[in-house]
Amino acid sequence: MMLDVQNLVHRFPGGVNAVNDVSFSIAAGETLGLVGESGSGKSTIGLLVTRLLAPTGGTILFEGEDITRLPPAALRKLRARLQIVFQDPWGSLNPRMTIGRLLEEPLALHTTLDSAARIAEARRLADRVRLPAASLSRYPHELSGGQLQRVSIARAIANRPKLVVLDEPTSSLDLSVRAGILQLLDELQRETGIAMLFISHDLETVRLVSHRVIVLYLGRIVEQAPAATLFDNPAHPYTQVLLSAHLPPDPAMRLRRHEVTGEIPSPINLPPGCFFAGRCPVALPACTAAPPPAIALEAGHSAACLRIADGTNIIDPVEERA
Amino acid sequence: MRLLEVEDLHVEFAARGLDNRVRVARALNGVSFTVDAGEVVGLVGETGAGKSLTALAAMGLLRAPARIPQGSIRFEGQDILAMSDRELEKIRGRRMAMVVQSPLTSLDPLKRIGDQLVRMQRVHGTARGAEARARAEAMLAAVRIPDPARRMQAWPHELSGGMAQRVLIAMALVNEPALVIADEPTTGLDVTVQAQVLDTLRDLVRARNLGALVITHDLGVVAHYCQRVAVMFAGRIVEDGPVAEVFARPAHPYTQALIASTPGRIAQLGYTVTGGTPPDLYDLPSGCLYRDRCPRATTACLAPPPRIALDATHGAACHYAWEAA
Repeated sequence: MMLDVQNLVHRFPGGVNAVNDVSFSIAAGETLGLVGESGSGKSTIGLLVTRLLAPTGGTILFEGEDITRLPPAALRKLRARLQIVFQDPWGSLNPRMTIGRLLEEPLALHTTLDSAARIAEARRLADRVRLPAASLSRYPHELSGGQLQRVSIARAIANRPKLVVLDEPTSSLDLSVRAGILQLLDELQRETGIAMLFISHDLETVRLVSHRVIVLYLGRIVEQAPAATLFDNPAHPYTQVLLSAHLPPDPAMRLRRHEVTGEIPSPINLPPGCFFAGRCPVALPACTAAPPPAIALEAGHSAACLRIADGTNIIDPVEERA
Repeated sequence: MRLLEVEDLHVEFAARGLDNRVRVARALNGVSFTVDAGEVVGLVGETGAGKSLTALAAMGLLRAPARIPQGSIRFEGQDILAMSDRELEKIRGRRMAMVVQSPLTSLDPLKRIGDQLVRMQRVHGTARGAEARARAEAMLAAVRIPDPARRMQAWPHELSGGMAQRVLIAMALVNEPALVIADEPTTGLDVTVQAQVLDTLRDLVRARNLGALVITHDLGVVAHYCQRVAVMFAGRIVEDGPVAEVFARPAHPYTQALIASTPGRIAQLGYTVTGGTPPDLYDLPSGCLYRDRCPRATTACLAPPPRIALDATHGAACHYAWEAA
């Protein structure tokens, strides 16, 4: 396994329980999608596995090495192999550096290449992510959002990492630009076998790019499955609700909406049982007693719902009125 | 009944650069569309296409350095561009209202929700006192805010994003306007909350026979909440028509590219579209503005394309529109 995360817990100061006992793994060449709404803990997990945050509990194994408590010097070395791309390219690139220097920076930090070799490598990287050669002498404000995100990706892959965390990499981009970035990521993975953790709230994009998908609710995994299985046969009531709220960009597709009521629990004061029980249309008294265990449905597909045992986990959608 | 009629609208900005030369950005280049009572019209396009600018112009909110060299905007038969500020103030917030993207920065943080709703009515003389409070509370109930009586006392910071967006819709509708313009009303909201907000807006449009213009970059919102759609590119409407028709038979290459860029289509057909940058508004080419990105472009596209009607309600500004249909 490229990445193996066991019982990950993160609590922010003030008692916010952002990540609550999360376990998953990613294989080489695999893209794992992480979906959930705001506050589901998906970005926190991205920061934890890249060790930009130190977890409160659990273990993180990267290429078999325990990186949970690595000291800063070892972490800096690690980051050549473990990279992250953020949502906002404007905020993640130094506005005072040219694109050329931004691309050389990771090489200067992690390789022994001399200046001429770094410049040559920066050119190759720019070409690989299809940035025009002329952009190397430009500054970030002179580039479009899509081009800047290509710079961020080029920086992330500069030292041939084994795993890249992509935290909403296309969410701030227009549709046609977004498609170009997704295509680039797809090519890079085919060429290099890089593993990816793709974090997004955009269900359609996650379905397109992921091999497997994990659904998070309040920092807990409610369901995981191969992408096609999850989207075609969601088992957990929350996954069913989430998918049914999505608006496919096709007026011919009828919406089958699940209506739920009730408030989302506060991450400061989480209930003892299933976090979704308070809003769940098929909740049982037992659901509020203890966290439901993950129940396997078929190979690679599991969901944390007590109702699966007798097959009563599927909730009836309300057919959308025209 | 025709509420809003925008015809051949042009908007430009003159800006003095660092070299002290004045240059003109042509942001809108001939925008025409209509909104009738009882319908939701979607205005869709990418960043910089001119969607929000069109909304501001329709509300009569454009000020220098924006200039309107050409075109007309009629609301309920009145010429918006000829009206004074005082006349505009009488219809804005009263006959036409706007819902913007960032709900929390659009509410006064120092006033309770109920007081803000009452003030909207007092300013426009629609109701005051106990009657205004009763109407405010009823409006909160209409946008499906739970426990409206208690929420009247809430401060804006106590509301979630979805709740605040519904309060903004309530503020826009409390004076019973004929037209509501919603600029990216659900961008930034979670999908489950987005659905609730859009349901609220649609139900109110139906119940009160409002006209609504919804500005969005999300084709899913257009597909399921709008009856008609206008697609914008570089300050022009490149295609317009009934939603089902435009999605099933997109005639403009830009509309086709937008639809082909959705993840669902990519999964079916692979990556077929290469994105590009929109034309430089300071130095617009003549002819079709989509020409440089268009796979179908020919020398004919050096001339500006007229809107070609494919049927009574569906048209596209492309010399080859009839080939796609």
